[in-house]
Amino acid sequence: MREFEYLKPTSLSEAIAMRVRYGDKAVILNGGTDVVIQLRERLIAPDYVIDIKGLEGMQELTFDPKEGLFIGAGVTMNAIGEDPNVKEHYPYLAEAALSVGSKQVRNRATCIGNIVNASPLCDTGTPLYVLDAKLVIAGSEGTREVPIREFITFVRRTVLGKDEIVLGIKVPYIPEAKGIFTKIARRKEVDLSTICGTVLKIGKSYRLAFGAVAPTPVRLDKTEKLLEGRDLTPELIDEAAELAQTEVSPISDVRASKEYRLDVVKVIVRRSLTTFMQEV
Amino acid sequence: MELKHVGKSYDRSDAIKKVTGAAEYVDDIRLPRMLYAQCVRSPYAHAKILSIDTSAAEKMPGVKCVITGDEYPNRAGLYLEDRYFMAKVGDTAKYMGEAVAAVAAETPEIAKQACDAIKVEYEELPAVTDALEGMKPDAPIIHPELGSYKVAPIFYPKPGTNISHHYVLRKGDFDKACEEADYVFEHKYYIPHVQHVPLEPHACMAKYDADGKCTVWASCQSPYAVRQALSVAFDMPLNKIRVISPTVGGGFGSKAGTTLEGIVIPLAQKSGGRPVKLTYTREDEFVNAYVRQGMHATIKTAMRKDGKILGVHNMFAWDGGAYTEYGVNITKAGGWASAGPYDIDNVWTDSYCVYTNHPVGGPYRGFGMCEIHFAIEQNIDEIAKEMGVSEVDIRRINGLRPGGFTGMGEKMDVAGFQECLETVIKDIEYDKPSVQVSPTKIRAKGIAGGWKSPSMPTNAGSAAIIRMNEDGTFFCMSSGQEIGQGAATVLPQIAAEVLSVSPDKITFVSGDTDCTPYEWQTVASRTTYCAGNAVKLAAEDLKDKILDLAQIKMGAMKRDLDFEDGYVVHKIYPERRVPIKDFALGIAFEDGSGYGGPAIGVGTFTLENNINTDKKTGVAKHHPAAFWTMGVNGCELEVDIETGHIKVLKMVSCFDAGKAINPALFCAQSEGAMVQALGTALFEELKLKDGKVLNKSFVDYKIPTADDIPELVAKYIEHAEPTGPYGARGVGEPLMVPGAPCIANAVYNAIGIRFNRMPITPDDVLKALREKKEKEGK
Amino acid sequence: MKKYPINFFVNDEPVELYVEANKTMLNVLRDELCLTGTKEGCGAGECGACTVIVDGKPINACLVLAPEMEGMHITTIEGIAKNGELSPLQKAFVKHAALQCGFCTPGFIMSGTALLQENPQPSREEIVRAISGNLCRCTGYIRIIEAIEEVAAAYEGGEK
Repeated sequence: MREFEYLKPTSLSEAIAMRVRYGDKAVILNGGTDVVIQLRERLIAPDYVIDIKGLEGMQELTFDPKEGLFIGAGVTMNAIGEDPNVKEHYPYLAEAALSVGSKQVRNRATCIGNIVNASPLCDTGTPLYVLDAKLVIAGSEGTREVPIREFITFVRRTVLGKDEIVLGIKVPYIPEAKGIFTKIARRKEVDLSTICGTVLKIGKSYRLAFGAVAPTPVRLDKTEKLLEGRDLTPELIDEAAELAQTEVSPISDVRASKEYRLDVVKVIVRRSLTTFMQEV
Repeated sequence: MELKHVGKSYDRSDAIKKVTGAAEYVDDIRLPRMLYAQCVRSPYAHAKILSIDTSAAEKMPGVKCVITGDEYPNRAGLYLEDRYFMAKVGDTAKYMGEAVAAVAAETPEIAKQACDAIKVEYEELPAVTDALEGMKPDAPIIHPELGSYKVAPIFYPKPGTNISHHYVLRKGDFDKACEEADYVFEHKYYIPHVQHVPLEPHACMAKYDADGKCTVWASCQSPYAVRQALSVAFDMPLNKIRVISPTVGGGFGSKAGTTLEGIVIPLAQKSGGRPVKLTYTREDEFVNAYVRQGMHATIKTAMRKDGKILGVHNMFAWDGGAYTEYGVNITKAGGWASAGPYDIDNVWTDSYCVYTNHPVGGPYRGFGMCEIHFAIEQNIDEIAKEMGVSEVDIRRINGLRPGGFTGMGEKMDVAGFQECLETVIKDIEYDKPSVQVSPTKIRAKGIAGGWKSPSMPTNAGSAAIIRMNEDGTFFCMSSGQEIGQGAATVLPQIAAEVLSVSPDKITFVSGDTDCTPYEWQTVASRTTYCAGNAVKLAAEDLKDKILDLAQIKMGAMKRDLDFEDGYVVHKIYPERRVPIKDFALGIAFEDGSGYGGPAIGVGTFTLENNINTDKKTGVAKHHPAAFWTMGVNGCELEVDIETGHIKVLKMVSCFDAGKAINPALFCAQSEGAMVQALGTALFEELKLKDGKVLNKSFVDYKIPTADDIPELVAKYIEHAEPTGPYGARGVGEPLMVPGAPCIANAVYNAIGIRFNRMPITPDDVLKALREKKEKEGK
Repeated sequence: MKKYPINFFVNDEPVELYVEANKTMLNVLRDELCLTGTKEGCGAGECGACTVIVDGKPINACLVLAPEMEGMHITTIEGIAKNGELSPLQKAFVKHAALQCGFCTPGFIMSGTALLQENPQPSREEIVRAISGNLCRCTGYIRIIEAIEEVAAAYEGGEK
């Protein structure tokens, strides 16, 4: 690691002031499970590292049927995965959080870090995509909320301003929603997703999101439209699976081929919808 | 005779140190004024080094010294002296990652910055990235000076080519076998490079004293071999090099040779007595430590319709990487064993070691056996399917039996293959088809056999010293290294049996070339056998000396005395007994004079009549192999035909251990071997593109976790090895050999697709299923 | 180079140190405090050899920057045996031969200890998940699982 200065702001305004002052020379440190690796591998070489996890409200994890879930930026993956409210109302989000890395990593890694990193294969992305979660962002101009679909713009790119810090994410509560999270990886434990996806059922509406199939996680709008309001049948499920394949554009890399990813998108859609069909 | 200590599952002698974190590995050692080393490495697979400018780095504050290839007067290597430890200006860097300069500095960070400041000019050259390509006459030549390299007399480099060894075996007449055959089959296989992945990355520290003494602390399996290589490379007398190998965090072959030690020594020589340490990162480990050689195999088999194998014709082309000082012997070992554990009259084998611009190939648990058996054992199954006979019966018909002959023509007095086969068949219930639980997850079973012998110089030697202390405790000194396999537990058990004392009274001391006696290497599954024989002989020598004294002291004939639970006991009058500790310093007479102490036993072991094979034909004159260890694996697995994932549900192993000195440690090694084999079968491949390693981290090179393991059943049978201590033969490597082909055979039995390449990934499975569907559609 | 004052506890002992920001907790433990039982197997949070317990939870020491250690209560492998007596889990590792080369062993003991503190009677699946962030190349894992199970079973019997 190159030398850098470690900054630990004690208030949000101080943190934002540091962001403004140091701009591109600074990186935000939260759980550190990605940042420390990037520092070690010299993928980044900042002059300043701003550790925000001590800021007030960062560890907040609250649920209320009206407001939904709020996940503070410092809340770890294990805290999410083991939270009784998350387990009860968003079991697929809990599962996604617990599918990240190892137990040790999940005790440091945060969900917000996972999102801000904007990796196309971020495991907690797809449950938040199907729920239309909103990031709460503080900046020098005040606080704003940005839907997650608009927040991530490309591989490792977001709309986060140079003066901004993500405080947390608001996750709407949909009482009748049922979700299935699926992660396909080379190895079941401690691996990056080859493909991950969440399929959500709200009455007769369906929402589908996939990761590792495009530069950002994606919602499958056409497939959702196809399924909207209809009863699931094996034929419809096959049609949806075929259509889903056309809505993604995976690439071949060291982890899997494009063809494999396309196949597996189909499998996830089919398996998830079949489970819903059989539950009825 | 009933054994008291051999055959008992004693706790590991190193366990408490290891569970408390007190065991000291090289990187844990901190010496005053220690410096840290870093290397500059070639970014090209093959390039001429035009110039190196180290001036900026040398001027940096905190930099102690900088070295380049100029520091290396001689090439070194175990069997073929083909490498300097650093590429030289004017010469070529032969793989992407080869060291071209190194720095010692006050901190690792300064050393890294200094490396960044070293300017190297390269001229990129065309690279060889496949063994078969490398064998072609128009291939770029990687070692133009091959003809001038010093080589052990049993290896045959072909100057002017990339072939550093051509092994030949010609037994019987394969062509005639084909004429007599009802069927002749030909199958091809490919095994990619994999990495050993010891959890402890390589580390080395060296200190060079003013009197010319160089002390090297190395995470290595073979301190004496390292000492020899360093002596050759640097023209240093052996008494001036002391190699200390403390706790070793896993070897699997990767720490068998000499690698980073050669970089640290010249740095230490220029650092004015300050110690210099180099610890590999995990990324280094994947590229700059040994990798397992890749291999292309083509097997032709002449079959009689009753299932008898009349002849085999093998062509193995090994991707040896940039240097093959060690790899030439893997090529030989693969050729030696190329008939598999089968009795075949006509064997024709060509095994080629080929230089490529890949990371350096070296020994990996199995020493070529995992690779060739992935081919041999799938070949057997393929033939069985194609002929419509049972794959079990083919193995029953052809598998070695006592009195049978190996591919090299050795007569086997002991051969437990058939019994291992029947044990595994029974345990995995191979005759019962798998119970299917899902239309999309197909279950099936598979079997495979395997064998291995140590491929070591026929005169490889081992020595041991046992000293008795005044209180009847002992030091057992050997340089057979504890690398996790259990040497520090098993070797004292052997001594304890001879001395009739509890093993906890014997402290095992190893790994210091100035203090512990010679051991050729801790490799080849030879430590229990070779070092074990030396320890047994040392204990017997000590016992004999004590009995000489006891007959004086006890006034009895030596033939009537024996050791029993810490006493010298008269066999006829058992009440006449003297504690053995009373002989620790010899005996004392009434007049005060003494005689015969202190008690020390010496044992040396070189296997006798271990004779090289015939130079022309490769056929055995007597016993070229010290012993052959053979066994069988069976498994049951499940293939998810939608995602391509393979889950191994159960693995069963049975090997002929000769004698399991410590049954629990035998089983522990067997379990580890099965899981390591599972990793290579399903996950592991060093992915290379144009010589570049694409997955040099645990993010993209996956080894099995606790979640990936099947139910494991580890068994052994005991047909004594006549030359082994208490009948023991080596098992560490052979245990891994049948695992991967066993899994591949089960995959075929599940989905009817033969994978002639490993690993078998989900991607490969779905691709093959797609292709199969298309084919069947047409 | 700037140094940062930090105060924390290691194995119940208070520690006060000045550290550089570009060092990790693993560097501090090994290089500053000579607590070398915590190992570096990859430096990237993938192998678990550097597992320590911080405030009751297992984490990778290689992924924590040194200044972040301020205020932490850290338990390392050196803090597991008490007054020279091995913990029940350490004893079980010895008994089951749940180790070979030993390099990964401290990490496994830490992950297992953290699990048993949090959940004294874990199921096999919970054990597997708790140790799947620890890589071992020698044992094939089964003896490690059995060692943890033995301690869990003893708890059930009311022993400790």
